[in-house]
Amino acid sequence: MENNNPLSPHLQIYRWHISSLVSISHRFTGIINFFAIILICLWVSLIFLGESYYTFFNLFLNSFFGKFVVLGLSWSFSFQILSEIRQLIMDLGYGFELNTSKVTGLIVIFGSFILTILLYLVGKNFI
Amino acid sequence: MVQLNLPENSKIKKGKYYEDKTGSKNIRKVNVYRWNPSTKENPSIDTYEVDMNNCPSKVLDILNKIKNEIDPTLAYRRSCAHGVCGSCAMNISGKNGLACITPHSEIDGDIDIYPLPHLKVKRDLIGDLDGLFKQYKSIEPWLKNASKVESSEILQSKKDRAKLDGAYECIMCACCSTACPSYWWNGDKYLGPAVLLQAYRWIIDSRDEERKERLKKVADELKLYRCHTILNCTSACPKGLNPAKAIAEIKKLLVTANI
Repeated sequence: MENNNPLSPHLQIYRWHISSLVSISHRFTGIINFFAIILICLWVSLIFLGESYYTFFNLFLNSFFGKFVVLGLSWSFSFQILSEIRQLIMDLGYGFELNTSKVTGLIVIFGSFILTILLYLVGKNFI
Repeated sequence: MVQLNLPENSKIKKGKYYEDKTGSKNIRKVNVYRWNPSTKENPSIDTYEVDMNNCPSKVLDILNKIKNEIDPTLAYRRSCAHGVCGSCAMNISGKNGLACITPHSEIDGDIDIYPLPHLKVKRDLIGDLDGLFKQYKSIEPWLKNASKVESSEILQSKKDRAKLDGAYECIMCACCSTACPSYWWNGDKYLGPAVLLQAYRWIIDSRDEERKERLKKVADELKLYRCHTILNCTSACPKGLNPAKAIAEIKKLLVTANI
């Protein structure tokens, strides 16, 4: 017999924690990076088609929207890398204590932004 | 595909409002999830004004007060009231916990009380935990030791006994499993933190002789590896245990045990 009783609320009511936020962002940035790699492949393939295509794509990347996309991707790569390192440490069985996981989670979140800024400065030849 | 929204029959409506009749100055609003199986209506949130001057310190005391003095139709599970039996597990202001050991003074603003998340509701705050206990049965949570005679004592060194610390204290209140998003979406196949912690408890027991069989049984992409270290389980556990770490230890054992 099918159970037609209501389902108790879940995502709607459950409070977010640092670790759950990092976990869902890890998956989210993973999906973004999947598309980012397609974009990079496209960029590389355009070189084969000739200079005009390449400069056209460069024009896009240098537009305001293009810069936003590139910075966004730098962030998602940064986040993925830091979060993956945290994950590797957890796979070794460390960092499961609540306070430790909170601290490492915060390092991942803030670190990803710092890494993005560093990447930007490197790209601008400031460093 | 994961269904993030609640199904149509589970959408929550606004319910009744019970005004305070004692004339007390120290009032707190308590929002409680209600659903009555004898009506065909959707669940609702009833709001109670509770006089805090004559209420002991825990959330369960508030529920008892509501049931005794305001609305006797409210249904919830409770038994020991000392954090030992695990009956009064529920979602209190966005986090799973035992109502009997959660002080209401630690909650800011109105107190929201829901049943444990992502369960079929039986009535009001009572969720259906049959699935979880079936999974618990599937890991065969008892000692398997064929070589020893039943009448003799099976000795264990202090070191081996210490391995069980942090695993045997579990009271199976289901706070952790129902806090786990992975268990929400794959609860029919993924065993969930509570059951995996118990699986681990029997895997590392030095007196148990079927360690390899136990490991083999749990080594399954869906049963075990749906843990993505979200750590909602560990933060929810009212006994301060760490199911996420136990799951990681099982994963480690599987890599090193050579089965």
